[in-house]
Order: sequence, then C-alpha cells, then structure tokens
Amino acid sequence: MMFFLEVTISGLMAGVMYSLVALGFVLIFKASGVFNFAQGVMALFAGLTLVGLMEKFGLPPWAGIMATIAVMILLAWLIEFLILRRLVNQEHIILFMATIGLAYVLEGLGDVMWGSDVKLLDIGLPQGAVDWLLDDYNLYVEKLEVAAAVTAVIMVIVLAIFFQKTRIGRALRAVADDHQAALSVGISLRTIWVIVWSVSGIVALVAGIMWGSKSGVQFSLSLIALKALPVLMLGGFTSIPGAIIGGLIIGMGEKWAEIYMGPIIGGAIENWFAYMLALVFLLFRPQGLFGEKIIERI
Amino acid sequence: MSPEPVQTRIFEEEILSVSDVSLSFGGVKAIQNVSFDIKRGEIRAIIGPNGAGKTSMLNVINGFYHPQEGLIRFKGKARRRMRPSIAAAQGIARTFQNVALFKGMSTLDNIMTGRLPRLEKGIFGEIVNVFLQAAYLGPARRSELEQRKYVEEIIDFLEIQHIRRTPVGRLPYGLQKRVELGRALAMEPELLLLDEPMAGMNLEEKEDMSRFIIDVNDQYGTTIALIEHDISVVMDLSDRIIVLDYGRKIADGTPGEVQSNQAVMDAYLGVPHE
Ligand SMILES: Nc1ncnc2c1ncn2[C@@H]1O[C@H](COP(=O)(O)OP(=O)(O)O)[C@@H](O)[C@H]1O
Ligand SMILES: [Mg+2]
Repeated sequence: MMFFLEVTISGLMAGVMYSLVALGFVLIFKASGVFNFAQGVMALFAGLTLVGLMEKFGLPPWAGIMATIAVMILLAWLIEFLILRRLVNQEHIILFMATIGLAYVLEGLGDVMWGSDVKLLDIGLPQGAVDWLLDDYNLYVEKLEVAAAVTAVIMVIVLAIFFQKTRIGRALRAVADDHQAALSVGISLRTIWVIVWSVSGIVALVAGIMWGSKSGVQFSLSLIALKALPVLMLGGFTSIPGAIIGGLIIGMGEKWAEIYMGPIIGGAIENWFAYMLALVFLLFRPQGLFGEKIIERI
Repeated sequence: MSPEPVQTRIFEEEILSVSDVSLSFGGVKAIQNVSFDIKRGEIRAIIGPNGAGKTSMLNVINGFYHPQEGLIRFKGKARRRMRPSIAAAQGIARTFQNVALFKGMSTLDNIMTGRLPRLEKGIFGEIVNVFLQAAYLGPARRSELEQRKYVEEIIDFLEIQHIRRTPVGRLPYGLQKRVELGRALAMEPELLLLDEPMAGMNLEEKEDMSRFIIDVNDQYGTTIALIEHDISVVMDLSDRIIVLDYGRKIADGTPGEVQSNQAVMDAYLGVPHE
C-alpha cells in the first residue's frame, strides 16, 4: 500500500511538470489560436539563460530569476514584433510553422549564448527526501518534487485570478472568443499577445527551473513539450483547468503503467502510454475533459 | 415611402471626412474614389445594393481595412492607415453585419467589454493595475464599480434587464443585435457605425431598434453612420444619405434629394449597367 502511494505521488509530481508546460500551450492557443511548438524549447531557453546569468555574473538566484523574467518578456515582445505581427492574417498552419522555426532559433540561440553542455541548476531548492514522511510512514517523497508541486499550485491560483478577475483577463477571453469584435472594442491584439507570450515565458521558466534542478538543464528539457501534447488532448486545448487535471492524470497514469504494467508488457511503456491514454480518451471525448470547442483550429 | 422629416436639422462641425478613398482586393475594386463627410450629431445613412462597398467603407473608417489611396480625417486628424484599437480609443465604435458577440459571455459581460479601458496606455501601466486589482484595492475597485454602473444604465436604456445573465449565444438574433449595440454604446463613442442593425428583424423589432437609434442620437448626441436596406427606415431616420453602387458614390444628399435622383432609382430598380 505504501508502495502504491509512493508511485502515485511520484506520478502526480511528474504530472505537475506536464501541467506547467501544457498551461503555457493553452494560454497562447486561447489568445491567438496558435499551437506554439516552441513551448518546450522556451523552458530549455529559460533554464539555460538562468544558469548562464548566474554563472557569468555571479548573480544570486533571486536576481538571476528576475533577470531571466526580464529576458522572457523581451523575448515575447520580439516574437510579437518579428513574427506574429507580420503573420497576423495568415492561416494558422503558417503560424504553426513559424513556431517550429522559432523553436530551432531559440535552441540555437541558447546554445550559442550559453554552450551546449549539461548544466547543473542550483537555486537552493531543497534536495533529498522529506524526512518525516520517510521516518514515520516509510514513504519516499522528494523535497524538490513537493516544492515543484507547491509552486505549480501557486502559479495556477495566480493565473486564475489574473484571467478571471482582471481587465487583461477579460480582454484575453474576448480575444479568444472573437478577434474582430475584440478589436472593435479597442483591445489591442499586439498588447494581448505580448502579455500572453510573457506569461507563457514565465511559466516556461518555472518549468525549466523545476526540471533543471532535478536532472540538469539539457536538451531533453525541450522534449517534455512532447509530453504536453497528450495532456492537451486530454484536457482540451482551450481549458486551463483541463491542462492541470490532464497533466496530473497523465503523470499518474504513466507511473502506474510503468510500475505495474511495464514488467508484463515489456519496457519503455512510459514512452507511449500517455499517447495511448490520450488517444483512447479522444475517441470518447474529442473536445477534451473541459474543452469548450472541438480542436479545429490547428 | 415616408415623407421628408418635417424639420431639416442643421449640423455645422465636421467629425469625419473621407477623401478620394480607394480600396481593392486583388482585382476586386471594393471602393473607388469615394469622398464624403459626416457632421457631428447627424445620422448619416449609407445605402446601396449588395456588394456596393458599404461594409468595406465602415471597415476603412475603423481601421480593419487599409485603403490603397485616399485620406480619412477624424476629429481633425488625417490618416490613411488606422489600427482598430486606436480608432476605438479615439471614439469610434461599431456593430457588425453578422453579429460579432463574445458568445461564451453573458449579456452583462459582453457589454462590460466595451468599458475595458483602452490597453493602449502601455503594458507597464497595465501590470501595475493588475496588482492593484488583484489586491482589490482603492482606485481599481472603485473604477470597476463605476464601469458597472454605467453598463447597468445602458442595459436599462436598451430594455434588456431580463437577459443580463444569459449567455448571448442562446439569445434570439434580434436581441443579440441589441446587445451588440449595447456593447458599442458602452464605449461612449463619438461616432457610432451601425452595419445593418435591423437585418433579419421583424417589424416590431425594427421599430424598437429605430427608436433606440433615435434616442442614442438624441440623448447622448452620438453621431451615427447607418447602413440599412429598409428604405423607409432610412428615409425616416437619416439626416443625409450616401448612395454607393459598385464601389462608387452615385448620390449624396437629404432623403428628399436622394429619392428624386434618377441614378439611385436605376441602381435600386436594377437597371442593367452597361
Ligand atoms: N476581405 C475581403 N476580401 C476580398 N474581397 C472583399 C473583402 N471584403 C469585401 N470584399 C469585396 O468588396 C466588395 C464590397 O463588399 P462589401 O463592402 O461587403 O459590400 P456591401 O456591404 O455593400 O454589401 C464585394 O465585391 C466583396 O466581395
Ligand atoms: Mg455589407
């Protein structure tokens, strides 16, 4: 029983990571109908920038994080200025292609600026097991994962307030609903885009920090984006709660499958199980758990 | 047809002028060399057969389309290209031929979007405001309540209290048009562009809408540009009329003048163009 709990918790913690990345996707998709292929690379880029800034300039973690947030906002502004603005009336598939291009540019940029070796990211997050759980219940839970989960929960609450209660949130929902009408009431698409890409950049930074603290900042970070895909299929492309719950389900399901089905079916089940789960789910609920619309926009 | 209004209203100050505007899409010349003006306070109708370029004209005025030639002068400032968000900030509001509402939101929320202060102020001002709002503090909270009060007045004015909380996607077409008008009014526009506000309505709904248009013009002093197919409505409501046909202006004047214009009659009766 303890073992089952341990597996479940570790699955949930991994799921939190997926949720974070999926959240970045959902924000951008809602505001612009663009599937941002570069979301995973943005996490890598943010992680690299943070490590780089801390190493090169000897910045303390908090200053490094602030500086990286500034870089991500600048990046959002550049993306709007150089790409989105120019492709505004194009087909979504063109914009999608542009984000593929962006992914490679960012990857190269991170490489050129900070080098391509695996980097340790240490911003002083706690390491090791949570002692009292281990001592009293013989349950092994990583402190880092708890920190990740707590951070993610805080992020989600902040974002929920941001989008439900503020004028920018109302503007964003308006843009997501009808571009023309939103423009006609004076909402500036450009401003909204810079804001959602900035927020996605910050979400990517959080994902980058969590993943980087655990396994080092390295290229594989950009691949977690691929794990976000089944999460989106499950949660719906336009639903923030969907991204969260979807991430948790996928993380948990994946771990269960790995531990309990892996030995029977054979290895590497964790590589494809999430997609299987999402596909089966798609057959029954193509709009996702909380999705408002069928995914017709990509 | 209705008789001319008993009293001809006189307007002096120009709020908008369009000079030699031409707009084409590839080979299609949607607007060719059109010029006209709109005076502050008047109701100006734009009529013409389908495809004449009426909607395109509104799109040029509020910045959705960028004409290849010509100038638009609004409140004394001339320009050719315009961003819709800036047009809105300067006081131009509009409704759409095919209702464009935020389908997922309630009537109230839809109209509230008209009160979103222009995000043109810049991102940093907005971010500060977000924190104020998140903390639900002083100025932000007060302003939210004030916005809300203004919107409630509009809801009363348009007699749509009973559907305040209804998601607009579920409303019948006529009411959707009314909500759309409400959203435009919430922007406190100086110039209101209405694209076929009565299309698809029954007689009673048309009468209601006519009354609202007259009242808006009367009570708020809003200048109105109105596209409408129902000729009797146009004759009743408008101070002056522009007639477009195949992207060209073929007549411009009071309802009486336009009615007695041969070219207009030809365009409407479908005399073939050679
Ligand atoms: N976005 C567009 N792309 C291509 N052609 C357009 C576009 N908008 C309008 N047109 C063309 O311009 C002409 C005028 O259209 P429109 O302004 O909608 O006329 P009206 O509103 O008077 O019926 C039509 O031939 C129409 O097909
Ligand atoms: Mg039209």
